[in-house]
Amino acid sequence: MRGAIVGLTLIIGLIGSGILATSGPQPASPADAVGAAGVPSSVPDVLVSRQLLESQDLRIGDVVDLSPDPTAIGARSFQIVGVYEPVPDPTRFSAQRLEARLHLPDMLDLIADPDDPQATEAVDAINVALRNPAEETTFSRAIVRRVPGVSVRSTTRTDRGNPFIVLEQFHLAIAIVTILASTAFLLALMVMQSDERREMAGTLRLIGLKKSRVLTQVLIEGLIIATSGAAFGIVLALVSEEGFNRFFQWRYDTALVFVRISPTVAWQCVAMSVPLGIVASVVASWTLLRREVLALIRR
Amino acid sequence: MSSFVFAWYSLCRQPARAVLAIAGVAVIGALLFDMLLLSQGMLISFRGLLGEVGFDARVMATSSMPMTGARVGDAAATAAAIEALEEIEVVIPMRIDQAEVVLSERRPMDFTLVGSISGHGAWTVIDGADINQRKADGDASTIVVNRNLASALNLSPGQTVTVRSECLGRRSILPTVEFEVVGIATFPFDSESQLTAAATIADFDRACGGEQDQADLFLVASRSRVTAEAAVEAIQQLRPDLYVFSNDQLVDRFERVGFSYFRQISTVLATVTLTFAFLLISVLLSVSVNQRFAEIAALRAIGFGRRRVAADLVWESGLMVSIGGVLALPLGLALAIWLDRILKSMPGIPADLHFFVVQPQAVLLHIALLATAGALAAGYPVYLASRLPIASTLRNEVVG
Amino acid sequence: MSTPVVEASGLTKTFPMPAGPVTALRQVSLRVDPGEYVAVSGPSGCGKSTLLHLLGSVDTPTSGTLRFEGEEISALTDARRSQIRLTRIGFVFQRFYLLPMLTAWENVELPQGEAGIGKAERRERTAELLDYVGLAHRAQHRPSQLSGGEMQRVAVARALANRPRLLLADEPTGELDEKTGEQIAELLDRVHADGNAIVVVTHDATIARRAGCQLRMHDGIIMPEGSG
Repeated sequence: MRGAIVGLTLIIGLIGSGILATSGPQPASPADAVGAAGVPSSVPDVLVSRQLLESQDLRIGDVVDLSPDPTAIGARSFQIVGVYEPVPDPTRFSAQRLEARLHLPDMLDLIADPDDPQATEAVDAINVALRNPAEETTFSRAIVRRVPGVSVRSTTRTDRGNPFIVLEQFHLAIAIVTILASTAFLLALMVMQSDERREMAGTLRLIGLKKSRVLTQVLIEGLIIATSGAAFGIVLALVSEEGFNRFFQWRYDTALVFVRISPTVAWQCVAMSVPLGIVASVVASWTLLRREVLALIRR
Repeated sequence: MSSFVFAWYSLCRQPARAVLAIAGVAVIGALLFDMLLLSQGMLISFRGLLGEVGFDARVMATSSMPMTGARVGDAAATAAAIEALEEIEVVIPMRIDQAEVVLSERRPMDFTLVGSISGHGAWTVIDGADINQRKADGDASTIVVNRNLASALNLSPGQTVTVRSECLGRRSILPTVEFEVVGIATFPFDSESQLTAAATIADFDRACGGEQDQADLFLVASRSRVTAEAAVEAIQQLRPDLYVFSNDQLVDRFERVGFSYFRQISTVLATVTLTFAFLLISVLLSVSVNQRFAEIAALRAIGFGRRRVAADLVWESGLMVSIGGVLALPLGLALAIWLDRILKSMPGIPADLHFFVVQPQAVLLHIALLATAGALAAGYPVYLASRLPIASTLRNEVVG
Repeated sequence: MSTPVVEASGLTKTFPMPAGPVTALRQVSLRVDPGEYVAVSGPSGCGKSTLLHLLGSVDTPTSGTLRFEGEEISALTDARRSQIRLTRIGFVFQRFYLLPMLTAWENVELPQGEAGIGKAERRERTAELLDYVGLAHRAQHRPSQLSGGEMQRVAVARALANRPRLLLADEPTGELDEKTGEQIAELLDRVHADGNAIVVVTHDATIARRAGCQLRMHDGIIMPEGSG
């Protein structure tokens, strides 16, 4: 058993999501809490994040002193009964998750201003799960009407300013630019390939094949190339997905998934790349086929 | 005919291919350029913003950002003690909290209320006058508001607003306080949509129900002959319990915590775009060489050495990359404006902070990286061309 | 006796093929003296072009020796052989191989620039050569704007650009009609008359007849005189 004055000003629920103060002994998130449960003691329990445990070299069973004051005024002892993995938060992934979870009454006892009679009656936030999530808007309006000064925020609706949405837009913009560059190169390659086949195309036209017939052949070739290319691209993305996630998860010590190739994303990529490949092939060949037949075969 | 001129002619013989390849290089080069700007842009912008405010150190109760709960107590005495140090020119205490403007027929409007001393650069008045100390109990408390708050509530100097402060840590709903709007100001760290107002510390405390003698942070300016680091050290020696950061230390912390994702993503994307450019130019040139095997064999047959053929190809690659690379710069700037606008819509980003900042080093690095990619991309095509068996190629061409 | 322009002794060339090695040349010996006009003919696949490529140091023999103006060249480095081809040998190909993006003038000027000849001299020589082949008025035209015969004449001018000791022509009339072929044959006559040594590989009897020495090849060997 080790006691240590941890002169931390734990950010107890004051940065972003902060601590989800629980009213019961179970963890308030899907994160696993591992520890020596049910240790009878007059010292109240505390759960600490894995990062905090590692950074302060703590162990389950240790008794630590927590204080909201940097000079350790008002410190109280708590026994570490478990460790949990914080739920990854995309808005705070680079922050070191030095967190602890206390029972709500213990936390209020710790941080309440003794001069404020209302201090033990106030919390930062109340999480609400509706029986019918579709009633979210109605519920929000009702709360705001009944409880002045309260702000109600949806956790499912994402507004334009949500960091996650912003990053998604950023990555989409990058993707658009990449597609534009790829299209230019693809067209260049197709133009060169068409030129290489100039004589063949001219010969086919000379022996009587119509333009549409030659273009159909080009179309089929383009389809095969585009489909193969798209499939290869998906495989490459899946392989690199693992690499990216591992790197960033190691780098930021988080369980957050940074890259995920969902079926929707894969189908979107195929839906964009296959028509692009076919169109590039057809356009490049059309510029060739619209020339006179003799011009095609003349050196 | 020099290799450069020969390469130019080779490029021009297939204008469609050349234009498309150069366009591709320009677009991918623009993305590369932007990633190079992003890798340092936000830090440079943040450092510039800190410098513009005019203070070179900040003092806080904890290592966390202000408004996270812990404040410095005995603020007046602390400020006086720090200002008494010979390294220090001026100390400005700041209180920051959430408040709301109480409106008669609308929901209250939340805003950020700052309590500080006027005339030291924490904000800049653009219309009207700055806040002033109340001389008597009956005098109105004064407030300056930012443009967003002024336009949201149709405020102008001379009007009155009713404010209720939340005063973090004080859970009771506090009584409202009337403020007279004396001016409209800009706050350097305001985000695009932020609503901010500033009052004197005394008026701030009044809104919080009485004198607090606390500060969320102190802005410190060192004397001109003293470095920021010396000032930081002096303050730290005076008050080892406080956390003191120079601007450089703040930037460094910002880089490690807030900015590291953008640094990582810019490195990853820069690497990907360079690889992309290398692969595509290499493929284009290789296909081009494949199409010109007979021609290359003929050149070799009439006496062109391997080095000459290689030089022609390297120049051809170089021309594509250099023309595309030059076009990439204005394209990159336009793209940077667009991407900057997207990223700045994140909450809490100061309006004057930019993610993409043009620096000469980024331009030079862009040129160097593209040139290297272009030179390396010519590697395989050069190998193909220089290893070409002349006789069998000529023979195959006749048979084919 | 003057030093021969090119002298081949016991040249053999074997090509490794998936189905087994193919010997295109077997112990071929040949000597071309300065100013000599040699025509090599024979059925397809007899090794004529292979012989020409070896004589022009475009390819290296599997065995045997090859001397160019007394210098053993079969074992030289690629760079040295390129230099010899550039300054002492001229090549004319069946398919012309003019650079399509250059004008007739630029095609003729190209090897001179590569050989380091100064601008003024290049200009003079190029004008002289285009006039020599009768195409001074087409100097600024690209190959796509020239007929087959005109392209071949430009190719001959290019081959003569650096005043070679030996002109090698591989089926120079192969892609031309009879009348145009006749024009090329006459041009080669002029080149020969001006003192150049020529070795031409050809099916064309028109050209073969004009050569002072006619060699017949069959199955990789030069047939003795009087045979077939």
